[in-house]
Amino acid sequence: MLGFRIPEPIARALVEHAQSEYPKECCGFLVGPPGEVREQVRLTNVDPDPVMRYEADAKEMKRAYDDLYDRDWEVVSIYHSHTHTPAYPSPTDVKLARDPNAVYVLVSLQDRGNPDIRAFRILEGRIEELPVVSEEIAMREGE
Amino acid sequence: MAVEVRMPTILRKYTSGEKAVQGSGGTVREVLEDLDGRYPGVRTAVVTDGGELHRFINMYLNDEDIRFIGSLETPVSDGDVISILPAVAGG
Repeated sequence: MLGFRIPEPIARALVEHAQSEYPKECCGFLVGPPGEVREQVRLTNVDPDPVMRYEADAKEMKRAYDDLYDRDWEVVSIYHSHTHTPAYPSPTDVKLARDPNAVYVLVSLQDRGNPDIRAFRILEGRIEELPVVSEEIAMREGE
Repeated sequence: MAVEVRMPTILRKYTSGEKAVQGSGGTVREVLEDLDGRYPGVRTAVVTDGGELHRFINMYLNDEDIRFIGSLETPVSDGDVISILPAVAGG
């Protein structure tokens, strides 16, 4: 099974985003050349019930997509946080997952002092977990 | 009217992987119908059986969300850019 590679500073930035929005859910994109996470794009959660759900601000997504289009990059991953449940796709997440190419990353702050990051593909209702490989850790393992 | 339509990755399966295609028509709806003739499946991915824009699809004409300027009946002009953006949502 292939892992989901994420640079360590971006993994930290995901947790920071989740903590800064707590108890609301945060959301955003991880973008880069196909299959490669290079940058984080924070998006505003505009759902009327942001503690339980998320919906990314459409205008911000439009700006992000224009930028990706110009750079020939793509949305490699769509991330959001769960503030009261584990880092696992909820039934709503599965129902609304639109992109079979994207890796869905979840950050759980259920145990707020011990954030958990997990990554999944969601294909037609099926959930497949990808082990998260922090690039800094991968480098240490190779030493 | 000839316009550029930018496709999200999830719809590129209909366009042989092309990230943008050319369409023609006087309104957004007509452009989608034109595209569907050459790239079957595009229209139903975006428009419901009732003829409305899907709840979880956003479409922009240049920098404007078409829901606020006339939805699928919004007129288009030569050189306009239509962007199709699936909503990103969950629980």
